Amino acid sequence: MNPLAVRVGDVELDNPVLTASGCFGYGLEYDDFYDVARLGGICTKGLSLHPRAGSAPVRICETPSGMLNAIGLANVGVEAFCRDKLPELRARGVTVVANVFGESIEDFVAVARRLDADTGVTAIELNVSYPTQEGLELGRDAATCARLTRAVRDATRLPLWVKLSPETGDVVAVARACEGAGADAITAINTIRGLAIDAETRRPRLHDGSGGLSGPALRPIALRIVWDLASALRIPVVGVGGICTARDALEFLLAGASAVQVGTANFQDPCAALNVLVGLRRHCERLGVTVKELIGAARAKP
Amino acid sequence: MTNEAPKRRRVTLPLLRRESIGDSYHVLSFDDPEGTPAVAGQFAMVRGERWGDAPLLARPMNYLTSGHTPSILVKVKDDASARLARAEPGEPFSVLGPLGRPWREPTPGCRPVLVGGCVGIAPLLFLARQLAAEGARPISVYGGRSERDLPLDDELGELTDMHVTTEDGTRGTRGRATDVLEALLAPGVEVFTCGPDRMMARVAELCAHRDVPCEVSLDTPMACGYGVCLGCPVPTTQGGYLYACVSGPCVDARAIAWTPGESP
Repeated sequence: MNPLAVRVGDVELDNPVLTASGCFGYGLEYDDFYDVARLGGICTKGLSLHPRAGSAPVRICETPSGMLNAIGLANVGVEAFCRDKLPELRARGVTVVANVFGESIEDFVAVARRLDADTGVTAIELNVSYPTQEGLELGRDAATCARLTRAVRDATRLPLWVKLSPETGDVVAVARACEGAGADAITAINTIRGLAIDAETRRPRLHDGSGGLSGPALRPIALRIVWDLASALRIPVVGVGGICTARDALEFLLAGASAVQVGTANFQDPCAALNVLVGLRRHCERLGVTVKELIGAARAKP
Repeated sequence: MTNEAPKRRRVTLPLLRRESIGDSYHVLSFDDPEGTPAVAGQFAMVRGERWGDAPLLARPMNYLTSGHTPSILVKVKDDASARLARAEPGEPFSVLGPLGRPWREPTPGCRPVLVGGCVGIAPLLFLARQLAAEGARPISVYGGRSERDLPLDDELGELTDMHVTTEDGTRGTRGRATDVLEALLAPGVEVFTCGPDRMMARVAELCAHRDVPCEVSLDTPMACGYGVCLGCPVPTTQGGYLYACVSGPCVDARAIAWTPGESP
């Protein structure tokens, strides 16, 4: 019996530790460090219909207990991913969640169809938040997000996760709308828009101005939203936001997350996600519990 | 000298010693019993293990030396470099490396010219030592704002035929390193440069004009240092970006779309 096994809807994972989109490349950069097939899974860098070069420098800056990023969704494009990266990942036994975004609902659908046509992707995760782009925030509004979810739902049989940003006024309402439109899980949360200014140059530090805040500074907000969503939804929640240690991951599981994603921590330590996994395993062994018993335990009536 | 990239590892190394040079510069030497297999031009992501959550990220630092006492040259410019400048012997540091593409091998028979500014001297000094071990003696041009901005000039002067420039004239030729470089460019010369972007852009321009091979060592903000955050793009003449941590830091100057006047 595997005490770390979890289910995210119909998706069975060996353990609840995944890596967050944009924080792990395409999962092929870790040969010097560890076998990433040990993780519950990896979420790819966000894939678009066509390759994107990304934003001009400066794309990142450190902030207190965190960082801002305005990468601009640089990626090789879904075609190059399916051709060059996915076969290698599958050969290594890595569970792959393809994170996807589009400039329009049509683009999302096209990317989903392309992934659907290939074997090897375990689930699709929709990135509906663009902290660095104006006017493309399909996730901001419950009705638009539901329409997007329904369109992708109709285009693919793959399990569908929707990754929400707390920039939406009422993230529970948006999540419920996605649930109603056929989403299989909600990933919470994406980054929150932040700003840093260089007092010497008197300009924002990032080329794009604002950027997405990630890292430990985000954790209490992410955790609260996971709690609220787990309380409100029937579909599972995948928790992400500043998880650096097994203890952090435990908090998210206890709040109701069925699985977690480790993101920014990987920049500080390429083995961060593995360390979270090892720590969780030790915790379960020490207490003689399974991860499934921990999920939502902090919300259970005493 | 080899250009093969050794396997990367992340290790905890205690600080052996910290030597201050003037007010602003520090050489931090670490104790690595296994030996760091870095070659000149490579870098490490360095972070104090006692830093907690802030500063969050490791900082990219060129290796000044490798082997059993890998070392880095630090100039204080932000929170993390200020912490490095206060590091005490015995303090544990996480060091991820060797990272990046090292200096290329100079063409046999050429005369290497090393052009450095500020902390850019570190990878150039490492290169000078490697070349000396092969029996070569490069020329160097070392420029700073004043005589206080020329750390490690003694060793550079021993290993190279060194020209010094200072903008305020307190040492060497008054002016910039690139003023002196122009006269040194000749057939058979190959340039290696590391320093502020504006300096490297000017070096690149001079070399292109005289058809002299030129390699630069890029310095950009980085979060991960090993190719996954996509935070270190450098615009290329092809129109897209290369990533300094994996395609660099040492890169052919002609590949870069320099933007004169834009500060790093």
